[in-house]
Amino acid sequence: MQAQMTGVEVSGQNLANVNTTGYTRQTVDIQTSPDLSTVIGPEGTGANVTAIQQAVNTLLNIQIQTQQSAGGYWNAQQSALQNAQTSLGEFLNGTASTSSSTTGNSTTDTGLSGQLTSLFNAFQAVATSPASVSARQELINQAQTLASTFNQVDSQINATRTTLNTSLNNDVNSANTLLSGIADLNKQISAAEFSGGTPNDLLDEREKDLENLSQLTNIQTSTGTNGAVDVSIGGQSLVSGSQVLDTMQTYDAGGGQLLVQTKTGGVNLTLTGGSIQGTIDARDGELATMQKNINTLASTLITQVNVVHSGGYSLTGTTGANFFNGSDASTITVNQSLADNPSLIQASGTSTATGDNSVALQLANLASVAQSGLNNQTFGNSFDETVAGLGDALQTANNQASNQAAVSNMLTTQRSSTSGVNIDEEMTNLMGFQRAYEASAQLVNTVNQMMQTVIALKT
Amino acid sequence: MRVGTTSYTNTMLDEFSLLKQQQLNLQNQVATGLRVQAPSDDPGAMETTLDDLSSQATQQQYSSNISTVQAQANSIYSVLQSLQTISTRAGEIATSAGSSTSSQADLNNYASEVTSLIQEAAQVVNTQDPATGQYLFGGTNSGQPPFTVATDGSGNVTGVTYNGNTSVNQTAVAPGVTVAADVPGANTTGSGAHGLITDSRTGADLFNHLIALQNDLKSGNTSAISGADGKNLQKDQDNLTYQVAYNGNVQTRLNTASTQATSQSNSLTSQISNASGADLVQTMTELTKTQTAYQAALQSSASIMQLSILNFLP
Repeated sequence: MQAQMTGVEVSGQNLANVNTTGYTRQTVDIQTSPDLSTVIGPEGTGANVTAIQQAVNTLLNIQIQTQQSAGGYWNAQQSALQNAQTSLGEFLNGTASTSSSTTGNSTTDTGLSGQLTSLFNAFQAVATSPASVSARQELINQAQTLASTFNQVDSQINATRTTLNTSLNNDVNSANTLLSGIADLNKQISAAEFSGGTPNDLLDEREKDLENLSQLTNIQTSTGTNGAVDVSIGGQSLVSGSQVLDTMQTYDAGGGQLLVQTKTGGVNLTLTGGSIQGTIDARDGELATMQKNINTLASTLITQVNVVHSGGYSLTGTTGANFFNGSDASTITVNQSLADNPSLIQASGTSTATGDNSVALQLANLASVAQSGLNNQTFGNSFDETVAGLGDALQTANNQASNQAAVSNMLTTQRSSTSGVNIDEEMTNLMGFQRAYEASAQLVNTVNQMMQTVIALKT
Repeated sequence: MRVGTTSYTNTMLDEFSLLKQQQLNLQNQVATGLRVQAPSDDPGAMETTLDDLSSQATQQQYSSNISTVQAQANSIYSVLQSLQTISTRAGEIATSAGSSTSSQADLNNYASEVTSLIQEAAQVVNTQDPATGQYLFGGTNSGQPPFTVATDGSGNVTGVTYNGNTSVNQTAVAPGVTVAADVPGANTTGSGAHGLITDSRTGADLFNHLIALQNDLKSGNTSAISGADGKNLQKDQDNLTYQVAYNGNVQTRLNTASTQATSQSNSLTSQISNASGADLVQTMTELTKTQTAYQAALQSSASIMQLSILNFLP
């Protein structure tokens, strides 16, 4: 009866935890009790419970840990690059309208690409009407809008970098907490196994911690003594049995790079997989490239425009002034004296003819000049290529994250087929244990009645 | 294969989420008419679209440039017509006055009329562009009147001075293509745009020829009037005929450039739509299919989830 009761309790435990994430279903191992020797031969003594075991597939668990690292890496990349795409601010706007058989729409773009074109078109307008005050004012407006957008994009990229570094610190702290948790569980599991028995719930909890840690970074595990699991990260042993040998911390590697090292040992860690490395790779890879390209674009624009403009003459005959001030995307501004008095824009190529437009025409033609500082591309094409590069990286991250999610689902489903609780199955087992208990109870009742019959014989 | 209870529900939830996301994307495409909105939607199409939008904005700028230059060319043509009238009348006076039948009183009347013609011509060539206030015939030295007239105490014109230069502004009307509608008032260098009043290549020098005619009429020098003055005025008329043809040629080029710019812009609209636009018909069809699949998934999941052994236990 006790054996069947244990079976009922285990089924009850499984049913109670049907929706618990990371729970591994337990099975009760009932075996025949040892025989008793009698004069007529060995006689059975019933059944007892020898163990309550987990239905676990260790190989699958390790595969899932590896999968979590890959998933964590690509999810972090995806998130970081989505932030980068938002920082860049280059999107298409449109409103659908039906006309004939295809969609007619007025598509516009919101960012630097359109504003670069507007700048050069404004130079064109001044070249067409060099003495027109309104054309000059419009040029100033477009140039100020462009400069302001450069400043904003650079600022937002920096804000994204800061957010990613904060996220990196948080992930490292979470990893340290998990390492400490795993060491603690190792201690409890070892104590339980030493005194006999298998602490299934503690094993589930440790497995969950290991998977959460795998999401943050790729880990290497090995089985220690008394059921402990030792954990290494980046080749450095961090947890051995119940001891946390070392933890992780971030450090400034120079050039705005925040990387990871061990805290006590000061060993720089080369991480693979996981959201920590995903964040680092996005930050130092595509985000850094994008910022560098935009700064190069701004500085080349400033230099090339100023070279042409400074040699021109304004409506009042002045010369030598720059059109843009600053040196890169964060500092680019329009020369304030030109903004205050657009007549000072130096559109003429000669001091003796204020109506001349040759410098304005040369400035407008810069739009189609291949710039050696931009890999022999025009300003517009260079920026469009930067946009496409980011788009490519994010598209890849999206696809990889999606693929990893599909693989992860498949592995989880596979694990669930071994370790997951099925309500129908548990109810069926429960009924089996209940019937067996009833049968054993009936046997006790029968033996009791027989004993009473024997006692009644005396009286 | 064994199926855990939670793996079944988790799989269903993932599928619902995927179908909802697909619906959202398609709905967004229908509302905006765009298949590509962000660089990650289709990087290649995004790059192409940005290039095309830039080209289209530039074509629109060319159209604007062309309109400005067309207005200038029209203003210049009006002046040419006035000058042709003046030049033709001067030629008629030279022909009539050069005949031996005119008296000195007649010649003096003709001289007064020529003086008026000179002043009228000086006024006309100092026309300003109404849009910018710049003078049309001073070359690129367009901030001041190109011609100043000197007169004596009696009101006779003694000389006309040109204050402009011989340079003209080029205006972009297509990629790598520029047009100059401007005409300098005078060009004695022998190269560049022909001068309107004075040009060394054609021998035109309208003001000086009119002043010479004025003076010859006052002095009664009929042989000069019928001889050199007549020939010189003919050169002025030929020069103006050249200018009218040049203006016509410029206007034709501008019309062609305008048509091209409009055509390019329309072509780019079509290209942009092909690269990043959503085909409404196709998108609506996909959306309908996805909505149907979502409904079917919800319905089947609801009926399957209700079945378990618990329904049948007493």
